[in-house]
Amino acid sequence: MRLISGRMRKVLKLEHVDAFYDRSQALDDVSIEVREGEFVTILGANGAGKTTIMKCIMGLLPPRNGRILFGGEDLTGRPAWVRTEMGMGYVPEGRRVFPDLTVEENLRMGGYNLKDHRALRRNLEWAYELFPRLKERRKQLARTMSGGEQQMLAIARALMIEPRLLLIDEISTGLMPILVNHSFNVIKDLHQRGITILLVEQNANKALKVADRGYVLEIGRITLQGTSRELRDNEEVVKAYLGS
Amino acid sequence: MILQQLINGIVIGSVYALIAMGATLVYGILKVLDIANAGAYAIGAYAGLFLYQATGSLPVAFLGAVLFTGLFGVLVQRVLYVPLLDKPPLVPLICSIGLFIFIQDLIRLLAGPHIRAFEAQLPFRGIELPYLSVNAIWIAIMATTAVLLVFLWYMLNRTKLGLAWKSTAQDLEIAKAMGVNVDRVVAFNFLLGYGFAAAAGIMIGMLYNSVFPTMGDMPAYKMLAIIVLGGLGNPLGTVVAGLLIGVVETLVAGYVGFFLPRDAIAFVVLIVILLVRPQGLLGQRT
Repeated sequence: MRLISGRMRKVLKLEHVDAFYDRSQALDDVSIEVREGEFVTILGANGAGKTTIMKCIMGLLPPRNGRILFGGEDLTGRPAWVRTEMGMGYVPEGRRVFPDLTVEENLRMGGYNLKDHRALRRNLEWAYELFPRLKERRKQLARTMSGGEQQMLAIARALMIEPRLLLIDEISTGLMPILVNHSFNVIKDLHQRGITILLVEQNANKALKVADRGYVLEIGRITLQGTSRELRDNEEVVKAYLGS
Repeated sequence: MILQQLINGIVIGSVYALIAMGATLVYGILKVLDIANAGAYAIGAYAGLFLYQATGSLPVAFLGAVLFTGLFGVLVQRVLYVPLLDKPPLVPLICSIGLFIFIQDLIRLLAGPHIRAFEAQLPFRGIELPYLSVNAIWIAIMATTAVLLVFLWYMLNRTKLGLAWKSTAQDLEIAKAMGVNVDRVVAFNFLLGYGFAAAAGIMIGMLYNSVFPTMGDMPAYKMLAIIVLGGLGNPLGTVVAGLLIGVVETLVAGYVGFFLPRDAIAFVVLIVILLVRPQGLLGQRT
């Protein structure tokens, strides 16, 4: 595991974020932060607002109030497409690979903002090294791949920019249990290679095993936070999310 | 004779493909049926005619009119479609029909309701053989259409911009998240889409030697048949469907004769094919 220095810089900070879909409020005064090298998870049931947080961070849903800071820079109100250039890699809910592009084209889209051709080549090789399966299928249309393969592709696509922060929206939904385990192992491994990760996840049990720290999100509000161990030992969390 | 009819059909069909390409590109990205694209066809024809009369140069008139109409498309997209995109799809559709009617009446007001001749002097002659004649305008139309369609194919399949276009068409939100400046892709899309419609308008104006305010009516209907037949938003499908309808129309009208007007044939073809393949010729089942 990578050593984390005493003075950890904040990579991402949300300050008092409110978000709405039309008139219905989806996030209410959400403040979170992620420091360099950390693996942070946000736990919550369906409809708690997990995907909304991700959309706010990615600029796909502008928050009504509050600020979003990335590496100290205020991103609130800036368009989504500046995110990859600044180093945010995004693995969306439900994978959302481009169905009618090949595996390699999907990866190239992940590195769309890389100015340097060599960096693109190098990261492509890196992605294939991490997921040899994708290399075998590089000429295949993404729609023809299995759910698990698409999940790997979605992760690899986000890695193409060598992200400073990897945002993952639900790694476990729609996958067979064996693939869920595999996916968690993959992101644990990425974290051990030094990548900072923010994962929003329904599967609290698995998420708390891999994350350093966590937040609990309930109907748009952060109700609890702590280290993974603290959350695992918390009675409410155990009752609500871990089962007894 | 059959060769002659086939060539007629291909000339008409390639122009159909060009007319429908603008709407296909717009549908591909925005999922809006852009009827007003047929207005761009009339604008292009008028702009081309006036520029030709002013400059006497066909290339200048052609490029100038295409560029002018393309920029008009960018304006339409910024002012009309972007603000309506999060409304139900019927809203931009109605807006588009309104814009189409507006364009026709604006042309009538500015240029008058009468038919204007578009007599173009081409720098080369047609081909005259005993059983086959291909006049110069046909050759110009086929060559120009081929160049435009090859350019489009190259752009979509061999450039980074093309990759961005396809990604945006498949998942606009995720394309944004991957770093694509979607606003720019959409603007470029309208530049091309309206420019293509203008090119078709100029060529048809030259072909029939007439330009008039409602010349976009027939293309507006036929365009719909072609893009649905081609599999909604599929550029290659649009070319295939345009050629198919052009050839079938010409052959049926020339040989069989038909109890309905010639322009109805496109819709008969559409109905027959959709009964067999509801997703269109090259569309995918979703």
